[in-house]
Amino acid sequence: MSDEVKKDCILIVDDEKGLRIGTQRLLEDEGYEVETADCGEEGIRLGKSKEFDIAVIDLRMPDIDGLEVLKEIKNTFPNTICFIATAYASYETAIQSTRLGAFSYIPKPFTPEELIYQVELGIKQRKLILEALKLKQEREEQLLELASEKSRLNTIIKAISDGVLVINKNIELVYFNYAALRFLNIQDVKIGQSVVEKLPPEISEIIDKIIAKEKILLKTYTTQIEILPNNELIIEAACTPVPNPDGSLAGVVIILSNITQFKKIEQIKSQFVSMVAHELKTPLAAVQGFINIILNDSLGVDREKQKEYLSRSTVRLKSLTDLVNDLLDISRMELKTKQREIEDVDITEALKSTLQFLEFEIKKKEILIDTHIEENLPTIKADVSEITRLFTNLISNAIKYNKESGSIYIIAHQENNYVCIKIRDTGIGMKPEEKDRLFSEFYRAKNEKTRGISGTGLGLSIVKKIVESYYGKIEVESVFGYGTTFTIHLPINQN
Amino acid sequence: MNLSDVKKILLVDDDIDLLEQNKMLLEAKGFQVVTAESAEDGFKIFQKEKPDAAILDLIMEQMDSGFILAYKIKKTAHGKRIPVFILTSATYETGFKFSASTAEEKEWIKCDGILNKPVVVEELLSKLEAYEVAAKNN
Repeated sequence: MSDEVKKDCILIVDDEKGLRIGTQRLLEDEGYEVETADCGEEGIRLGKSKEFDIAVIDLRMPDIDGLEVLKEIKNTFPNTICFIATAYASYETAIQSTRLGAFSYIPKPFTPEELIYQVELGIKQRKLILEALKLKQEREEQLLELASEKSRLNTIIKAISDGVLVINKNIELVYFNYAALRFLNIQDVKIGQSVVEKLPPEISEIIDKIIAKEKILLKTYTTQIEILPNNELIIEAACTPVPNPDGSLAGVVIILSNITQFKKIEQIKSQFVSMVAHELKTPLAAVQGFINIILNDSLGVDREKQKEYLSRSTVRLKSLTDLVNDLLDISRMELKTKQREIEDVDITEALKSTLQFLEFEIKKKEILIDTHIEENLPTIKADVSEITRLFTNLISNAIKYNKESGSIYIIAHQENNYVCIKIRDTGIGMKPEEKDRLFSEFYRAKNEKTRGISGTGLGLSIVKKIVESYYGKIEVESVFGYGTTFTIHLPINQN
Repeated sequence: MNLSDVKKILLVDDDIDLLEQNKMLLEAKGFQVVTAESAEDGFKIFQKEKPDAAILDLIMEQMDSGFILAYKIKKTAHGKRIPVFILTSATYETGFKFSASTAEEKEWIKCDGILNKPVVVEELLSKLEAYEVAAKNN
């Protein structure tokens, strides 16, 4: 036997010296490790000091009774296999000793073969007991793990914002989380209850379809349900059949997701596309109309008039081009694909170059420009083309919506960590309800005074996007009939 | 063309190019055309001129200016007797869906038909004719 393998350990408790030594030698020869005690007291001490595999205890000893030793050892190490050895073997002792936990008793005198046979039996028994114990412990640990895994899973499912509902094939509730009940507006349900009446018809229909199928198809059926009217709450329900191991239907898992926001965005997008299409179609219709008239010989339009119509077509085409460019700008800003060239922008310079750019329009309408720009105005970190675009849109509006020979006041100064720019015109102004919609795409104030003023309806929407992209803010004040003031705050870079 | 009853047409559109084009085309067909550039003026001219038909642009001051004007016209005694058409480039292709043909739409769109921009005069005339035939059969 190699040293690495732990030898089985045997305790001999006997007051008879000869027997003690003989037995020890015999068992050691068999490959066991043997310790001996010459009296009951020593037997108890040794037997409790470590766990022996086997203990052979003499029944009659001068100090302490063998049964007492047995009891003590079993108390401490219940899995030590104990034999009672006795020359006075009686039925009664046998019963008593086994009741106290002895595995068996060995009648004295015994032959070496008898002893070895009994010890081997005992060792086998002990191995069985230990193996059983180990299995039991492992199973307990697994159960514990399973329980904690289940509660962990429970916690996770309860915490997710999607609704989870599991039903069996009788449409009885097997599992649910509170999100599911909230989405479906179900109250007072318990596991095991039928939910036929409580599910929306869209889901019931799918479940009926799944149950009616002879063969389970492992696919997910989805449907969208408007839970609250006016698109207040729209959910998507995904129903997936769950098979039993034998392939029959066990139930259905229903996952409910809130897709209200998604639907709203979709709606806004399609509204925007509709507006764009409309805005593109109108100037095209005008150009098409002029061409049709010129081509129609029966109308007999003279050359002078033809030229006028062509130049009016050119104006419409120019506005179409502006619109497309504005749309592209907006799209670039929203996608943030535009590569910005951030540098120190001198507001004074940007305003001056914008005014130069708009000089023709200013002179044409004889507008007076009055600028009050604070000296040594700090620079801001920005893309100069965007800042110029911002000023161009605002000042060209101030020109377009101004009266003939009106004025535009431009004031710029530092206000705490911001550069504040005010652009005020003496134009037609806005009604309060027009002001509210000012920054929305394609909104153009339409009234008797704005007729004949062209624009894409995107200028201010672009302005707002630029200002907000630099974490600035824009405000507007207006008095109908007297003029409008735009105030912009752009943060000064602190670096 | 059998349009004996329609002699004077009211055109309302805030797009002066389209207004002028349609006026010219209808005049070439022998109609007398009166025009207005806003819904407000449109109603004034309708009351003053008592046209035999009205063609109204939809999106003017408001998104639904044309519908509102049509409603106002149809509420008058004279308006009930004449065809009123809405002219617009807001149609199926642009994602705005209305046709004034379903029962629900007829309930809130008080007009006799929708015409798409750019309108072909022949289309307009055939709609007017169809209206007349239907009116006589009633």
